[in-house]
Amino acid sequence: MSALDSSTVAANAEEASAKAQIESLIYDHRNADGTFADPGPFRLAEWEPGKHATLAANDDYPGGRPFVDAIEIQMGRGAKERLVDLEVNKIDFAEIPAEQSRRAAERGMRVSASQPDELVALVFVPGRPAAAIGRIREAVADSIDREAIVNFILQKEGEAAGGLLPQWSSGTAFLFSTSRDVQHAKELWSQIAPSPRISLGYDSTDPQEQSIAERVAVNAREAGITMAVEPIPAAASERGKTDARLIRLAMASRLPRTALANLAEVLSPLAGVEDDPLPDPATPEQIYDYEKSMMGSFSVVPIAWVPQVYGLSARVRDWKAPGPGENWPLADVWLDSLGEAGNEKANP
Amino acid sequence: MTFRTKLFWIFTLTLFLSVGLIAAGVTVVARKAFDESNTEHTDALVQQFKREYDQRGQEVFRRVRGIAEAEATVRMAIDLARPSADPSIYVDDARGVSQSYHLDVMDFVGTNGTIISSAENHAKFGYKMDWLTQQVDGKPIDWVEQGSFLMKIDTQDGPGVALMAVSTVRVGDRDLYIVGGEELGKEFLGSLGLPAGMRALLYLNLDPAFQAANLMDGKGPIDEAQRFAPIIEKEQQDQAELKEDINWTSNPASAEVFHTLPLSGRHNELLAVLLVGSSQREVVILERRILGLAIGVAVAGVLIGLLLSWWGAARVTRPIRKLADAAREVSAGNWNTHVSVKGGGEVGQLARAFNQMTQQLVEQREKLVQAERVAAWREVARRLAHEMKNPLFPLQTTVENLQRAKESHSGQFEEVFRESTSIMLTEIENMKAIVGRFSDFAKMPQPELGTVNLNEVVRNVVKLFEAQFGAVGRPPITPELHLEEELPTIQADPALLHRAVENLVLNAMDAMPAGGVLMMRTTHENGHVDLEVSDTGTGLTPEECDRLFTPYYTTKQHGTGLGLAIVQSVVSDHGGRISVESETGVGTSFHVELPQNPPRKPQVFPMVFEKQDA
Repeated sequence: MSALDSSTVAANAEEASAKAQIESLIYDHRNADGTFADPGPFRLAEWEPGKHATLAANDDYPGGRPFVDAIEIQMGRGAKERLVDLEVNKIDFAEIPAEQSRRAAERGMRVSASQPDELVALVFVPGRPAAAIGRIREAVADSIDREAIVNFILQKEGEAAGGLLPQWSSGTAFLFSTSRDVQHAKELWSQIAPSPRISLGYDSTDPQEQSIAERVAVNAREAGITMAVEPIPAAASERGKTDARLIRLAMASRLPRTALANLAEVLSPLAGVEDDPLPDPATPEQIYDYEKSMMGSFSVVPIAWVPQVYGLSARVRDWKAPGPGENWPLADVWLDSLGEAGNEKANP
Repeated sequence: MTFRTKLFWIFTLTLFLSVGLIAAGVTVVARKAFDESNTEHTDALVQQFKREYDQRGQEVFRRVRGIAEAEATVRMAIDLARPSADPSIYVDDARGVSQSYHLDVMDFVGTNGTIISSAENHAKFGYKMDWLTQQVDGKPIDWVEQGSFLMKIDTQDGPGVALMAVSTVRVGDRDLYIVGGEELGKEFLGSLGLPAGMRALLYLNLDPAFQAANLMDGKGPIDEAQRFAPIIEKEQQDQAELKEDINWTSNPASAEVFHTLPLSGRHNELLAVLLVGSSQREVVILERRILGLAIGVAVAGVLIGLLLSWWGAARVTRPIRKLADAAREVSAGNWNTHVSVKGGGEVGQLARAFNQMTQQLVEQREKLVQAERVAAWREVARRLAHEMKNPLFPLQTTVENLQRAKESHSGQFEEVFRESTSIMLTEIENMKAIVGRFSDFAKMPQPELGTVNLNEVVRNVVKLFEAQFGAVGRPPITPELHLEEELPTIQADPALLHRAVENLVLNAMDAMPAGGVLMMRTTHENGHVDLEVSDTGTGLTPEECDRLFTPYYTTKQHGTGLGLAIVQSVVSDHGGRISVESETGVGTSFHVELPQNPPRKPQVFPMVFEKQDA
């Protein structure tokens, strides 16, 4: 998000999420049938699909006019380009990869990160021969060095995940082990004959997923598991060609029950886990038991929780990193035209 | 086989052998030259690879050392030497550094051998490279002294082989290892400049058994890699430079000669094999062209040689053939045959000697004829005297008786006169008969040639004597005729021939006073007809056989000795020959050979000889 003039900001974001974020800024809420109702704090002034959009402040917004006059959103810019744009003050706001957060902060960039609310997990694809054997799934789960992935690949931005909900949300995540057991993995693997070759897919457009997948494969090979990584194109038809794949699952809510129910709903077709109804409301014990039962089959292997990280220019004020299910609070942001602000890592 | 044909085949065989030897020699020499040229090219390429390999090693070492000396690396080493160092922040650094320094392999490794950052296998952080911290004889490895070396590596795409170098940055008692290298693969092969017809292959010895996927050229894995398995397996055993041929198809042009160069690691383990292949296509095509040209030249040479051989053989043998013809003429009785001589040399000398020989033969014959003529005259004189003496003596006695009767005036004179004149007339008749026979022999006419069937002549003569063969009071003579039905006619005088056959039959009858078998046989061969007249009489001695045809020689009490002389004269006048075989107590056989076409006049053979220089 950069200032086109003293009262206009521009934003740069991934096109997919940008569209949703733009919709949240120009409409107040979505109807049950998917249509939008009530104008939002901004109105769409310009729209060029895949390239850029300009949002102008809605003077008639019932909640009050936004502080900025306009937001110019640039789409299709890569992570490195966004970082450079931020460093040279070409933009005011951008999403940046979590693993870049640390270095960006060291270089003096203002960084804001959310709670770790996106789960990176390995799911075994239903119907694949290797995915059908429980010992294979368990051996792979035991071989993964989650701490190394968080420390090196995510550059300590995130948490090793043993369960489906983060510690800050459920409070019971510590009950799920994140340590690896290579010896147990070797023992399990030695019981499988003939030893299959496991293919692990990852999103071909996601470098972070690629790094995690490669590390998982290295860990697996250390345990004697024959694993190869394969990039998966975005096309849905390619998704069933690997035995397992990495996925990212964003939390739908801060509330553990809602988040877990949503995860169960999403994972059911992806990993073939049972989608039994979760009591509503549910006690922490019920949530834990439900989470444990989903983990028991090793069809889903949580790896890490990753936060959403944003880079901010020095003049951005009142930015608060959105929580799970929340939109960018750009209507509340204002720009300090007088000068610099100190580096701040937002952590609402 | 004629002398000309023999000469022709000798020339041709010599020509074939010469051309064959030359063609084989040219082919062998050409192949040897091509092989040497190929070997030179291959050796040059191998040497080029070795130089390139050494240069690449030195370059890798320089780059790794450059990384170690870079400020960022030194700062990293200082940072990592701190007690609370966090190596995770450097996990991505190797990638950027490897790209900057154009290295395929790039690792930052901590003092305990733990990988901090790896370019070729980003996910290997935290794992150990134990070989870096190994000690030799209780001391750390001096990586500067080690220089560059070949090593098996583990990349994101799988195992590989790289030309590696290690450098260290020491801060306090802690080392930061910088491991860099350039992977040996298709890019490395692609950078080699290869002349046309040659290719370089690289086999990465990553598995104990041959793996076709590990063999590549500058573009990647090659087809039919399995064909290289024996070479690689041999290399795995010997680790020595080898030279092997691979025939891709039955066509020799598809063959390639491969020179192998084993590439070993720090512990002399075989890690890769370079194969420099030289296609035999150009060589085979060139050899085929040379061979084709040689065959073309040879065929042309042989054809020309055949013609020249035929012409040369004819030219060489022509005077000899004419000599042979002349000799045949001489043997046929034409002693006046002369060979014209032009040129020198051995054949010319031979021709001159032949002419001298025929001239001497003619002279000798004339002398012999002269001598024989004298002898014949003497014989004639002797015979004549002997013949004439018989009637002359009674004549002399009768005349003397008549004179005595006249002088004595005896009354018996008239009676004496009648008797004497009667005797004188008788003797005069005898003398006239003697003279008549001599006269007949002297009046032997020249043959008047006509077409004659010898079988008819024989049958007529036998028919003439049939009555005498079985005459009463005489032991019977049995005639046996073996006459060839297909006997060709000859040119001869029928009357003279009838007379000659008649004399032979008479002679046989005289030889068999006690009877016997008279066999007459006719045959023909090579332009002449033969007549054999045999009897089963008492036979002749060799001395008698020698003189049998001499006029007036006879073994009979009342013979004139002219019968067989007439026979020989007739045969000779017809250009034929007569011979006799006899065995005492068994019988005698006369063989008459008559040409179908008797020669009419002497022939002269012109002969031309090239002058033969030494």
